[in-house]
Amino acid sequence: MSVDHFWTAFAFGPFMNALLIGLSVASIWLIAALGLAIVYGTMGVINMAHGEFVMLGAYSAFVLERYLGVPFLACIPCAFVIVAAIGAVIELGLVRYLYRRPLDTLLATWGLSLVLIQTVRLILGPEPKNIASPEFLNSSVQFWVFSLSLFRLFVIAVTLATFAGTWWLMHRTRVGLMVRAVMQNKEIASAHGIDTGRVYTLTFAYGAGLAGLAGAMFGAIKNVFPDMGSGYIVEAFLVVVVGGVGSLIGSLVSAVGLGEIYSVFAYFTNGTFAKFWLFLLVVVFLRFRPQGLFAESLGRR
Amino acid sequence: MNSLYDNRTLQWIVYFVFFAVLAVLPMFIENAFTTNLFSRFIVLGMLALSVSVVWGFGGILSLGQGIAFGLAAYGMGMTMQMQSQDPVNAPIPSFMLTNELTELPALWIPFWHTPTGIALALIVPTIFFGVFGAMMFQARLVGVFVAIVTLAMLSAWYSMAFDMQPYTAGFNGISPPAPLNIAGHAIDPYSHEAYWIVLAFLAALTLGMKLLLSTKFGLVVQAIRDDPERARFLGYSVAGYQVTIFTISGFIAAVAGVLWVMIVQYVSPTALEVQFSVSMVIWAAVGGRMSLLGAIIGAFFVNGIQSYLGDELLYGFLLVLGGLFIVIVRFLPNGLAGLLEMALARIGRSKAPGPDAEPGTPPVAASAAPRSQV
Repeated sequence: MSVDHFWTAFAFGPFMNALLIGLSVASIWLIAALGLAIVYGTMGVINMAHGEFVMLGAYSAFVLERYLGVPFLACIPCAFVIVAAIGAVIELGLVRYLYRRPLDTLLATWGLSLVLIQTVRLILGPEPKNIASPEFLNSSVQFWVFSLSLFRLFVIAVTLATFAGTWWLMHRTRVGLMVRAVMQNKEIASAHGIDTGRVYTLTFAYGAGLAGLAGAMFGAIKNVFPDMGSGYIVEAFLVVVVGGVGSLIGSLVSAVGLGEIYSVFAYFTNGTFAKFWLFLLVVVFLRFRPQGLFAESLGRR
Repeated sequence: MNSLYDNRTLQWIVYFVFFAVLAVLPMFIENAFTTNLFSRFIVLGMLALSVSVVWGFGGILSLGQGIAFGLAAYGMGMTMQMQSQDPVNAPIPSFMLTNELTELPALWIPFWHTPTGIALALIVPTIFFGVFGAMMFQARLVGVFVAIVTLAMLSAWYSMAFDMQPYTAGFNGISPPAPLNIAGHAIDPYSHEAYWIVLAFLAALTLGMKLLLSTKFGLVVQAIRDDPERARFLGYSVAGYQVTIFTISGFIAAVAGVLWVMIVQYVSPTALEVQFSVSMVIWAAVGGRMSLLGAIIGAFFVNGIQSYLGDELLYGFLLVLGGLFIVIVRFLPNGLAGLLEMALARIGRSKAPGPDAEPGTPPVAASAAPRSQV
């Protein structure tokens, strides 16, 4: 890595392609962050085990496909259901008791992530596993200057669909109305007869389920291994924080923004350097806009 | 609430007894390996101390203490590496040659000079914490935001250390071939001498912190932990105090980084791993983050078990550690020290209102009435 070949010169085709890859990166970060955003926005809980929910989703898909012969596309919703169920259990057994202590939740869920990683490692072994994705997703498409694997396009599509579904759920259904009411003011919502405990359980389970869904796809992009979750957690947090707590649109915009910035940096230098500068940029950004892009203000919390 | 636990005199006695016991400990250890192991525990205790200062007393949950530790460790690694290079015959460390560097990078040149190198290893991380802290706290970032931003910063540094192979030896890390040499005297990392040096630093820092935290500065820091808004309305510069305590904790972690490389003769990106920085928080939480001594003992305790169980049982151990941590956070937010506090309070109550006693520190609930000791 001498200085001469450290910088990549600008070239139109590859640069446009880098922008497309940025979108793909954004879709991965967004779907990893979506569950986190909802859980943090609603409950004020920082779930450090979110990455491990991603990992559990990947393992669910792996086990279903390998041992039960479930086709990959059917594994994705199954992973959602399985991890959502695990999430509900964890909310009822642990997170529930820590609502008034956000920092402690962060630490307890970190402990939880250790437990989950080690349990999976003990049961299924430390070696990486593969999820076989269907043939038609393994090709890549080319048009004009672009070239991208079909699987990455598939991830983008699923992410957009999930995002739209979540938005619809939050803004067009009765449950969503209740969640948003609790988000704005827990006590008043409760006074209006909303069972806040149940809303919290459902929200946490839904957030976990989204992580599981993400995991099923990530597992097929790369490998499945016990501490794969830690590879997504920091980026996912940054997407949430930059987007603004409690704002779905904010998460979308910040995921696309961060993904593109990362991809452009990575094009000119390399992946690690790009990540370093991206993280630094986020810290500087938060210096001037600590509430994130789309949040009203921090004052209410 | 005048329990034995809160008696200031007794606290100081316990602190002194604790360090006195640690000081005579090596007299009973023949095995050089064990001595070195204990020296390592002392350094890890220092990291728990830095967490206790910033989190237990400053109320700032920093998951980035590893940044100061790691940067200082690299500084020290570079210094010790350059001690074994010869300006004429072998001016460049061998890992750089294998990475096709033909001359020593400018970054490395100051480390030819040992005092400059060690000074840089301490000053650079401290200044970094000052600047980084100023950015966070002037923006009034609080709580979990600070945790996440420090975490992000840590992973940024980790990837740098990992990726800049020609300058940091990447994944392999730097392993200086010879022990640290100060003015012609080599400090054998396996010796009692090294142990005492490390212990002296821990004792000085701990007692210094205990003093500092009982001054007015320390009281304001704790007031800010308990309620930043009120402190702000009283006219205190909340950000100023937070930046200061954050920087101090960074300095302590930097000292730990320097000493760590002195006794292990090795530094690699693992020093900057997220897992490691969170472990420090776990140690402090287990021992009791609101007690300097408690946090140090927590580090000894967890690492003691870990090395006792050995590598074979390590996976099982992490399972237990995670579980233990959940239980402590859930039921015992002030760790072992909190347990002691409760026990002493109970004794005090049943034995009539006799005067007080014992080590460590304060409140049962973080939000309860602010208290003032160390």
